[in-house]
Amino acid sequence: MDGWNFIRLVHALRQVSLSISSQDILDAQTCLFRFPGLSEKQVVKSIFIHRPQDASIFEAIWRILIENPEGRIESFPEDRTKVPVIDESQDSSGLGGQGVGRGSGGVSLTSKGSILDTANISTLVPFSRLEELTNGGFELEEMVKKVLAELDYYTWINSYDLAYQRSELTEESWYIHQDRRSALISEIRQQLLTAQVSHENSWEPLVRQHWLYKSLSTLTDKEKELVKSSIRKWARKLAVRPGSRWKSSHRGTIDISRIVQQSVQRNGFIFNLNYHQRVPRASELVVLCDVSNSMASFVEFLIYLVTCLRARFRKIRVFFFIDSVWDVSEFVCDDDLSGVKQEIKSSGDKVSSGFSDYGAVFREMAENRLRDVSTRATLIILGDGKNNYRPTQTEYLAQISEKVRNVFWLNPLEIQEWNERDNMMNEYKNYCSKVYRCRSASDLHRIVQDVF
Amino acid sequence: MNVTSPLDLAQVLEEEGYLIDEEAATTLFLALALQKPCLIEGPAGVGKTQLALALARAEKRKLIRLQCYEGLDLTKALYDWNYAKQLLRLQLAKTEDWNQIKVDLFSEEFLLSRPLLESILSPDPVLLLIDELDKSDEEFESFLLELLAEFQVTIPELGTISSKTKPVVILTSNNSRDFSDALRRRCIHIYLTYPTLEREISILGSQAPDLSARLTRDVCEFVAKVRKLPLQKPPSVSETIDFARALNALHKEELKYGDLLGTLSVLLKYPKDIAKLEERLKKWETETR
Repeated sequence: MDGWNFIRLVHALRQVSLSISSQDILDAQTCLFRFPGLSEKQVVKSIFIHRPQDASIFEAIWRILIENPEGRIESFPEDRTKVPVIDESQDSSGLGGQGVGRGSGGVSLTSKGSILDTANISTLVPFSRLEELTNGGFELEEMVKKVLAELDYYTWINSYDLAYQRSELTEESWYIHQDRRSALISEIRQQLLTAQVSHENSWEPLVRQHWLYKSLSTLTDKEKELVKSSIRKWARKLAVRPGSRWKSSHRGTIDISRIVQQSVQRNGFIFNLNYHQRVPRASELVVLCDVSNSMASFVEFLIYLVTCLRARFRKIRVFFFIDSVWDVSEFVCDDDLSGVKQEIKSSGDKVSSGFSDYGAVFREMAENRLRDVSTRATLIILGDGKNNYRPTQTEYLAQISEKVRNVFWLNPLEIQEWNERDNMMNEYKNYCSKVYRCRSASDLHRIVQDVF
Repeated sequence: MNVTSPLDLAQVLEEEGYLIDEEAATTLFLALALQKPCLIEGPAGVGKTQLALALARAEKRKLIRLQCYEGLDLTKALYDWNYAKQLLRLQLAKTEDWNQIKVDLFSEEFLLSRPLLESILSPDPVLLLIDELDKSDEEFESFLLELLAEFQVTIPELGTISSKTKPVVILTSNNSRDFSDALRRRCIHIYLTYPTLEREISILGSQAPDLSARLTRDVCEFVAKVRKLPLQKPPSVSETIDFARALNALHKEELKYGDLLGTLSVLLKYPKDIAKLEERLKKWETETR
């Protein structure tokens, strides 16, 4: 690897939030110089990658920068009939159907056989189509779905799902099929990322895919675990940090009786001044979460955070709402959040229409629940502010805001979306101590530092 | 040990009964070449500790092992003062000059070396294995930074003690908690995962040579299939070996799904997982008919 490529690689890795120290660079250079026979990729990866979850982003950058420096995906053959995508020697016993609506080109996964040749996955979609999509300014996930639809992916997987349910497919073949599914999706994502990086001429598309900056609703299971692990870490740090009301306060008032007691033990000499011990004021946290469909994935993380932080509060009360409120505090005491997830899925259907109504919820809170809430409580509202054109009833939020110490509103939508017609954030925010965008793990981290 | 390439390293480890894949061998080789600590992560039972033990044998280094747990502190990991001996010294020296005694009491004579200090003071080459570091507290992790970066420790009463022979340091973790960037930066990282089918057959062949080739292959294929199920704890390599040995003890020449009831608890450790597998076995059995 020449010096220029090495510098570009280090720069790219740093751009996507990987920490590469000068010592790492020195070590990598030493190894590349001392062991020229070893694979450069392996050497650099061993030295630069310190976390298993960073390996995939390294692979993506290596592929874009070193293996495919021209910024183009393998050229798509003009004559698509010759593309050896489908291994026709393996019959799929009639699985699949006719491909339809493949946009501006490509092959159908359902035509003829159905076994993907992994070596040729990269030639499934023409680069021109990827460029067209990236120029359209779509989000990555949206583009992936479009490409998959054009490949008849959904028909293809449905046919397999059906065959498996009917026991026409052995478990072995089912697992092989699952592996191919994930390989295909991962390849399409990689190609789209390459096209995006090339189109935007920056590493920003890769940064957006980092679990810390990705929308909490689009995280994979592995990424969810990483976010939860980070939340545990923040909670541990907070557990030993004095509360904000103590930080700026002085040492307390002098405790004369203890000074006298201690001086008696030392022949009447005063060695130290004693102060009254500070007794923490009991604090109360009230969490109000919108659990309508669009919000469910965000609620999971907030509740996890609250669970981790429960030792810091004397009392925690958690309410879920859609168009009416119900108390779920008992589930938050468990470390296992399956109860909360179940509650989000099941109870919402029973007690509400499915459409958020913030006005009605605030009225119910103010009329029925507010008397049990302490004046020193902090209220956290998690919601997108979309009121489905129903009355805002801001007077009730004002009433709540007057009673409690602070009202913090966490909104998973982008700030510009708060101005949409059915979104009442701009009205509600006047009654909040602070309003935050809470879309990604990094947003959540900022909120944790600010609020708790 | 004169290891000049990852291939050499893989060979010497194989002689010690440990089969390592090429990628892990390269990373470990680089860690040894750079004289940097190596952090090995991965699920339980994939051979992290065994790798350290095999490396110690291969390099003919004395193994010093520190098993981490919650609440582990410096007095258990680094050093402690021998209070009983200090008291005796005080009893014997009532008439001596106080200043002289004060200095003596905190000399190396009264120091009790714990694993970390032992590895630093050892005149012979050692391999320091800090096992399951994720079980320890964050304070302990921060304390290790000086040792990992400089191969030295600081004892307030004595000053800084540097290593006589640079120890090979291996840290293992089951990922029960994440480590700080500072610790990760000081280490070369290896992630060990479940071996491929072919590698597991080789491992089983070397660890349990008395098994028939048929049984070895059957067991490994079966375990690979079991690992794809959504289990609370998928079977590890060590459990594969135990399971194969159990079948061998029952004089099985091959693996038949119908004959496995009662042996599954060797492979899986949670009743829920066993129940799930038993259910699947019935399905697999009908598929093979």
